[in-house]
Amino acid sequence: MSFEVFRDVAKPIIAGFGITSRRLLQQKEKRATIQYPEDRREQFTRTRWRHVLTRYDSGLERCIGCSLCAGACPARCIYVEAAENSDSDRRSPGERYAARYEINLLRCIFCGYCQEACPTGAIVLRKDFELANYDREDFLYTKEMLLEPIRE
Amino acid sequence: MAVDEGHRTVSVTINGIEIEVPQGELIVESVKRLGLEIPVFCYHPRMKPVGMCRMCLVEIGFKQPDGSVRMMPKPQAGCTLPASEGMVVLTDSESVHRDRKGVLEFLLVNHPLDCPVCDRGGECPLQNNTLAYGPSTSRFIDLKRHLPKAYPLSQYVMLDLERCIQCGRCVRFTEEISGEHELAFRFRGASMQPSTFQLLDFESKFSGNVIEICPVGALTSAQYRFRARPWDLQTTPAVCTACSNGCNVWFDHRAGRFVRINGRINEGVNEEWTCDKGKFGHDYYNSTDRLRTPLVRKGDQFVEATWAEAYEEIVKGLESAGKDVAGLCGTRIANEGLFLFNRLFKQVLGSRSVDHRWTRTLGTSRVQTPIAGIEGKKGVLVFGSNPAEDLPIVFLRLRKAATRNGTQVTVVTPDVTEADAFATVASRIGQGDVLKVAQEIVDGQSELARKVADCLKEDGAIVTSDRVRNLPGGGEALRLLEDLAARCGAEFNCYPTGPNAMGAELLGVLPGDGGLDTWGILQGCCSGTIKALWLLDCDPTTVEGGDQALESAEFLVYQGVTRSEATAFANVVLPMAAPAEQDGTWTNCERRLQRMTQAIAAPGDSKPAWRIFSEVILRLQPSTPFFNPREIMKAIADADPRFLPGASDLPEEGAILSATTQAAMAGDGA
Ligand code: SF4
Ligand code: SF4
Ligand code: SF4
Ligand code: FES
Repeated sequence: MSFEVFRDVAKPIIAGFGITSRRLLQQKEKRATIQYPEDRREQFTRTRWRHVLTRYDSGLERCIGCSLCAGACPARCIYVEAAENSDSDRRSPGERYAARYEINLLRCIFCGYCQEACPTGAIVLRKDFELANYDREDFLYTKEMLLEPIRE
Repeated sequence: MAVDEGHRTVSVTINGIEIEVPQGELIVESVKRLGLEIPVFCYHPRMKPVGMCRMCLVEIGFKQPDGSVRMMPKPQAGCTLPASEGMVVLTDSESVHRDRKGVLEFLLVNHPLDCPVCDRGGECPLQNNTLAYGPSTSRFIDLKRHLPKAYPLSQYVMLDLERCIQCGRCVRFTEEISGEHELAFRFRGASMQPSTFQLLDFESKFSGNVIEICPVGALTSAQYRFRARPWDLQTTPAVCTACSNGCNVWFDHRAGRFVRINGRINEGVNEEWTCDKGKFGHDYYNSTDRLRTPLVRKGDQFVEATWAEAYEEIVKGLESAGKDVAGLCGTRIANEGLFLFNRLFKQVLGSRSVDHRWTRTLGTSRVQTPIAGIEGKKGVLVFGSNPAEDLPIVFLRLRKAATRNGTQVTVVTPDVTEADAFATVASRIGQGDVLKVAQEIVDGQSELARKVADCLKEDGAIVTSDRVRNLPGGGEALRLLEDLAARCGAEFNCYPTGPNAMGAELLGVLPGDGGLDTWGILQGCCSGTIKALWLLDCDPTTVEGGDQALESAEFLVYQGVTRSEATAFANVVLPMAAPAEQDGTWTNCERRLQRMTQAIAAPGDSKPAWRIFSEVILRLQPSTPFFNPREIMKAIADADPRFLPGASDLPEEGAILSATTQAAMAGDGA
């Protein structure tokens, strides 16, 4: 084995195994790979994945159906239809709420403009990134799917 | 509106550029000649300036004989300032910008700024002016005033008092344009609010316009409320098909569904206004009563069918009826559809019985004065029908003529009309007396006759509508008046009221030689002389004897946009596209031919009328079918040279067709 072959081939391989074996002996937290999906990595605080329609602490929806998110969206993937609140059926504070709210996640580029446009902080991009699915229709997220459940 | 004081021009210097403008022109208008803009709220080009909002402040100075410029110490309102010789205007100086900021800050102190839920947001002059000229942040930290929100002024108009900036446009509209003074300001100073008298309903036939001219979201449409935001909408220029005036409108739609109607400028027709019938009368586009698939009767029930099956059924029905077929149609059908409908009956089936008229006595219309021409008349006699109801835009012109040009208006009608307010003479026709009153006017003996003669003596016009034919003796009365007009050199106008009634008449959708008219056809159905009847978007059950006729007809085709009472009697039901769901041309009451292009897709399987007839004709008689409305228009123009303007590209404002050969057409079909 010539010197060049040792330097260019064998040494990096040995060094590589060295790292692997050192990591093997370390505790789980410090390992470079994780056992997804059993284990999940902590995400950065400002990660932008799937949208959530949030609520106020009172349980009322924040979204007022103003369509500003739809106007700001560069992918034109939000569809909002508003309706009027009544005292007997109050969904959000004020006069107006979103009766229909849909996002086509196939078109969304996760730019977060919608979140920035929203005057009430209703639509936010959170950390749910596991969005794979089998049918195109399943990527049409409706208001029911986006709305966060009422906190107890 | 340029305050025209002769044709003298003066030279004014705007931002250092000297231009000639007509003397007395308002400065807000003059700066537009240089492509500049002065922001406004209360100023509206079609109404008198009032200087209420102070948004239009500019710096003004005057050239002195020694060549220096003396500036006025205080800024001036550009909307009330007429141009005069040597005027110097600054629209872009530092102090002007400071003034605008100040005015906007004051306006916003009392403004809720609930733009996200405001129906005006996105097309709001207050938003736009604030963005362009206003402060970027608010210094106002106190509690805002609170006033009623979403107060229904009428079934159409909602008032949000918090948003009102007291510009007075709505109040002035009802004073100056629609002329019924329904709105007025109550209270004074900061508490001033637009309101109806004694909080009654805002009842007007033109109330929808205040929604459009309100520069904020204080007056909004109850129908459009929360339906969409402006950026959700797509818009298509269209023609209103609610009546024969043919107003130009914007047809706003979202995701293929109709949303709202807004006025579009056509100086020859509606200027920029719409009536409530038009603005709020298009919701049938989204009605659940829309027909979506062809239906064929099987025993007691309708079953959904394909077009081929429906046509087969129709061909069978028509062929077994031979020449005993007839067609009745409504008037909300484009020229192209009407032309082929007429051709189907008169040329293909060999019947002469078709009609589009539904008045008690039948007649043809006669129109000599174009809508805009009414403004220039010296005297107008309104006879028998309420123009505000039947011919809304003609009414607005009439009012303008009377209040701005001093036209003498005489109203002779059965009921109280809106035109009474500006008429010099308003006289009522007693029940059943139409003919008697007409005779009296023609005889020239009575007091009323003298007044009418006085009104028509010079450059006069008679305005009436086909509704008069519904009154007993109405048809005869119209004939008398027509003669009277001819005798005293006045123009005679019996305007049709159906959306494309004028088109139907010009195209000859009228009984041919020996053919039956509407009433004859309905009787014929009862007596069995008419075996097959085709209803094109009309409902005879609303007229006397219609029910029996439909019941006795052996074979009935109902073709329509929506389900109606008549649908139940049909053997075959064909779904038809509504006006904005197809390309086509429309003829308004002054014979103005206007083109409409398709805005949205027709629901389900429905097809435009012209396509249905083209396909039926093909099945009855081998021929080259028409593939698009333009080809049909060419064929119409070939058959009738009056329609020649339609064969090429129509100008945006449409083209008025000439009246000649009108009577000759009635007999021989298309
Ligand atoms: S993240 Fe961007 S692309 Fe996705 S919905 Fe929001 S605005 Fe649209
Ligand atoms: S999510 Fe926010 S921006 Fe979008 S409609 Fe609702 S309130 Fe408006
Ligand atoms: S009127 Fe204009 S500025 Fe006022 S809330 Fe409505 S959109 Fe905003
Ligand atoms: S636009 Fe001139 S004062 Fe309102």
